[in-house]
Amino acid sequence: MLTKLQKQFSNRVQLTNYLAELSPWLNDKSASPIQGGEKAALALLELIDPIGYGITRNYIDGNVTYLSPYIRHGILTLNKVRNEALAKCSNHEQIETFIKELAWRDFWQRIYYLNPHWIWQDIELYKTGFQSADYSESLPLDIAEANTGIAIIDYFASQLVQTGYIHNHGRMYLASYIIHWRRIKWQAGARWFLQHLLDGDPASNNLSWQWVASTFSNKPYIFNLENVKKYASPDMDISPESNKPLNATYEELNKILFPLRVSQND
Amino acid sequence: MINLIWLHEDALRSSHKVFAEAQENFQTVFIWDEAYFRQMDYSFKRLVFIYETVCELPCDIYKGEAFEVLSSLARSNEAKILYFPQTPNPALKLIAQNLSKTLDVVIVPDEPFVVLDKELNLRRFFNYWKIAQNRAFQHNGGD
Repeated sequence: MLTKLQKQFSNRVQLTNYLAELSPWLNDKSASPIQGGEKAALALLELIDPIGYGITRNYIDGNVTYLSPYIRHGILTLNKVRNEALAKCSNHEQIETFIKELAWRDFWQRIYYLNPHWIWQDIELYKTGFQSADYSESLPLDIAEANTGIAIIDYFASQLVQTGYIHNHGRMYLASYIIHWRRIKWQAGARWFLQHLLDGDPASNNLSWQWVASTFSNKPYIFNLENVKKYASPDMDISPESNKPLNATYEELNKILFPLRVSQND
Repeated sequence: MINLIWLHEDALRSSHKVFAEAQENFQTVFIWDEAYFRQMDYSFKRLVFIYETVCELPCDIYKGEAFEVLSSLARSNEAKILYFPQTPNPALKLIAQNLSKTLDVVIVPDEPFVVLDKELNLRRFFNYWKIAQNRAFQHNGGD
């Protein structure tokens, strides 16, 4: 006998309570502020500003679209979003950044179709001076619990778990910190992101982690506090004393994080 | 005979081509598959997002393992065809492959972002972008 589930709810709390009973294996039973559904997706799609996106998207409070969870689950197609951007602006140069970001998702999906084994394996060797075996297998609790003592890392880690969404720069900072500062395998971080991000997609997520790790790029991605300051939102604690391990020049960081690679290059 | 459309988590849209492909006389199904969700390790937030989306769609939601539910519905509906929105997801593809032993599984591709006429070197985005760029700026990808 098949069990048919309820589809009509008078409000979101009722739906959440119903799902809580259907999910006994999960501890945290809170919903994200991001609402699912085609109606919500289409309302956001109307609001996109593809020109503004190109100018401010790198800023944590910049003009991003928040469409990614809807694209991830097929609620919106890349085609539809692109067509909407073209309808809003016919000057291709002004919307190049926006269209290119959609193209990145298309690129990742094509890889997923053609080379699914790339998703969890190192595609290339690390270019950090270390071997894969030098990296730890699992994500330490202080990161998962947003308790590293590094303000901006804890800011994004906590946002990930509490909302299911982080700005792209926050994702890059977290990934870089986990892989290069803590020397943890990218797979451990990628699993954590996939668990919590509403837009978590094995291709976009894991291949981006590999890009940061340098197993799918020519060099590791690192950042420093100066870079964070440039793009930070006002609610972030970007003081040097709260972010000590990040407060250095790229030259200093390269020596600290990749001592073998630097000496190889000398 | 009522055929089946399996609306899985990668294709949660009422305008998906799978509906046109099935034409008429079909039942659309989403499956609350605890084993699959546990395998994916999704947070509760993710599940709420997915479920909220499914509630708006013209489909029935059944609880159980996808293979079992779809096999059982196929039997009771006397279905011949399962329409399956194309996905790269290996876990979903495997279930569809197992169902293809007893059902005709029709894989329905999604609308493309761009149609490429050259073979792709997937090592770097740059290679892709060189080929895709022109069509990426055209309505419907120039299709």
